[in-house]
Amino acid sequence: MSVQLQFKRNFILPLILTSSVTRILFSESNVLANKIESGLHYLDPNKKMTRELEKNNQPFKRRTPDYPGHVPLYNHEKLLMFLGSSIGSFFHPERNEFIVALGESTAIKPILKNLQSTMLSNAIGRQILREKPRITSTSLNLDYLRSLPDNTIGKSYINWLDREGVSPDTRVAVKYIDNEELAYIFQRYRECHDFYHAITGLPIIIEGEIAVKVFEFMNIGIPMSGLGALFAPLRLKKSQRRRLREIYYPWALQSGLNSKPLINVYWEKILEKDVDEFRKEMHIEQPPDLRNMRKEYFEMKRREKEGMKL
Amino acid sequence: MFRIIKRFSSQLTKTYQDVVIIGGGPAGLTLLTALKTSPITKNLKCTLIEGTNLDKVRQFNDPPEYYTNRVVSVTPKSIEFMKHIGSWDYIHEDRIKQYDGIIAYDSQDSESRIEFDVSNIGKDMLASMCEVINIQYSLLTKIESLEDDTINIKDNIKVIDIINPVEPDMNHDLNEIDKNTAIPELDWPIVKLSNGESIQTRLLIGADGYNSPVRKFAHIESRGWQYNKFGVVATVKLQFEDFRSVGWQRFLTTGPLAILPLTEDNATIVWSCTPELSDLFLKINEKIFPHLITAAMVLDEVDLNYIYEVLKENPDDFSILKDIEWRLSKFDPLTLEQNYPLPVVEVISNSRARFPLKMSHADTYISSRVALIGDAAHTIHPLAGQGLNMGQSDVSALVEALEKGMQRGMDIGSPLVLENYVSNAWPSNHMLLGVCDKLHKIFSTDFYPIVFARGIGMKSINMIDTVKDFMMKQISGK
Repeated sequence: MSVQLQFKRNFILPLILTSSVTRILFSESNVLANKIESGLHYLDPNKKMTRELEKNNQPFKRRTPDYPGHVPLYNHEKLLMFLGSSIGSFFHPERNEFIVALGESTAIKPILKNLQSTMLSNAIGRQILREKPRITSTSLNLDYLRSLPDNTIGKSYINWLDREGVSPDTRVAVKYIDNEELAYIFQRYRECHDFYHAITGLPIIIEGEIAVKVFEFMNIGIPMSGLGALFAPLRLKKSQRRRLREIYYPWALQSGLNSKPLINVYWEKILEKDVDEFRKEMHIEQPPDLRNMRKEYFEMKRREKEGMKL
Repeated sequence: MFRIIKRFSSQLTKTYQDVVIIGGGPAGLTLLTALKTSPITKNLKCTLIEGTNLDKVRQFNDPPEYYTNRVVSVTPKSIEFMKHIGSWDYIHEDRIKQYDGIIAYDSQDSESRIEFDVSNIGKDMLASMCEVINIQYSLLTKIESLEDDTINIKDNIKVIDIINPVEPDMNHDLNEIDKNTAIPELDWPIVKLSNGESIQTRLLIGADGYNSPVRKFAHIESRGWQYNKFGVVATVKLQFEDFRSVGWQRFLTTGPLAILPLTEDNATIVWSCTPELSDLFLKINEKIFPHLITAAMVLDEVDLNYIYEVLKENPDDFSILKDIEWRLSKFDPLTLEQNYPLPVVEVISNSRARFPLKMSHADTYISSRVALIGDAAHTIHPLAGQGLNMGQSDVSALVEALEKGMQRGMDIGSPLVLENYVSNAWPSNHMLLGVCDKLHKIFSTDFYPIVFARGIGMKSINMIDTVKDFMMKQISGK
């Protein structure tokens, strides 16, 4: 007796069953019915456009800039920029990129808004905002400034530029401040900074810079200048600090508070004006010349040394 | 002999009436209409006394082309009442604008706004804008159509004096024995008129406005305060007809400015402001004023203050238009279109006027034989547009009380009857007055913490529909 091993082909029936059930379930009309039920039984002609729109709505996508050259930042990025630039500028105050970044990250909206309303409440301030003048070496005609009489604002400005060896073009464009008008206001503040040196006659070395910053902070209220005035003296020598405390701080506080808002000055239009007259109009006192004072101080030191040698 | 003549003559000039209404404004006329159309009180002898000539109201039969500047917001509840007394049939329907929403926003932060849309509570209108003279005309026409000879309207006649025949002596000794136990004369007040007549009345109604002589006669104290602000009103034309038909209100720190729609491209403004500004607004060149309104609905307050300064120097300074245009160009055109009212292009000549703003509320509305209605009882800040409607609800409550008294056979001048009126009308009026007063105060500052808090308040109210629906029902009168 032989046992015939036979393979039981019991898969045929299930196969037939499954295929027929599938054919019924996924028949063309059923598929269409399902599509109708879910709402879209035709090809969506807007598909391409919808996909593109969705692409624009992606999370973590930077919003469109408010003005050419604007880099919109998230708040956490602004905070990081503030931390980095403040540490950087404390240890390397001579490096411009730190100072620039610190200035922009501390110029928060309420302060700029405040400055904006100062400008908007004044006829000349409004004129500046409407015309948006920029101060550059091409807009100013430096040769003409050199030809002006000695005591004019234009001449002392150009004298100051020449003495310090800087140019109006050294001012960097504002990048990180939102809202076009607020950005312009900060740009204007930055470009006018050299004029403050010119009308006060304070040099670009660190003490002069600190004195102008205090003056500026009292007058305009940009926090950057306040921070500078607060932390920069920590790195100074004792004699420098004493000079600041005794002469320049009182001057800066008083003049800054008493003078009219400097942001509302249309510098380009008053280049021919007499500096003393202008100072009187704005209620600014002239500080003592820092360069001369330093010269006298070093002279004294040298003499002391020589005396000791003798 | 002489005595007899004197007695005779006094009898000749003195007449007796059931109700004398002093004041022919909307409140007084509504009361007269309501009394004469109610089946219970229609037989009362009524007299209405008005100091000015009512022919001006009658002439509204042929209304002027432009809207008059006294326009009020009338709630559906008030309209319902005027339909009930039958005067609404006579109103010039083509001069009424129904509106179905209010958008109120803060000048310090344009993001904080409340948008009321009446379709959310399943109604078709929030309120209607209507000229005061239109309402007066409809009421007067209704009264005259009744041809009732117990109605006496005396216009162009002033009240000289009101006498109480039994003025109690307040300083009498309490232990003294009262000699006049029985009053020899009627205790009804006597109203002396400028034409020599005097009327003795069972019930005297004061509908005679803020400085009510009737209230003074009744020794009713009215408490409140002047806001030291003026409301400037004007009729204006918008750029084109706005399909949105909503009222716009912007809360400036000097006071709210509202633009409310009228038919077609017409609109009316109410601008609450300081006395100096109101002087300025009446003085500004007619061609500049519309642009100033547009600017005041959109621009920051710094800009507005600058514009005011320039215009104070010279009210005809057209250079300011360029400035306004420049500041408006800072806004995204789409936002301007969606979130702000249409620009105002024209102000109707001589339609600008101003009135002082104040809050006042009488301690009570009644005393023996006297009742106060309308502005005589309360004056309110116009920011919610409730002034006229409060007067209408006064009338409705008073008529209800009088009807009840008549049905019970009581003397309608007795405090027992009138008490009912005060207890129904006073509390809700007091609440409304308080709410408007507080709103005015909250919004008249730019102190940052308060600006911040009210911003949160407005935004959250705007998000919570149940609160919004409740407020809308309150505004539109349930």
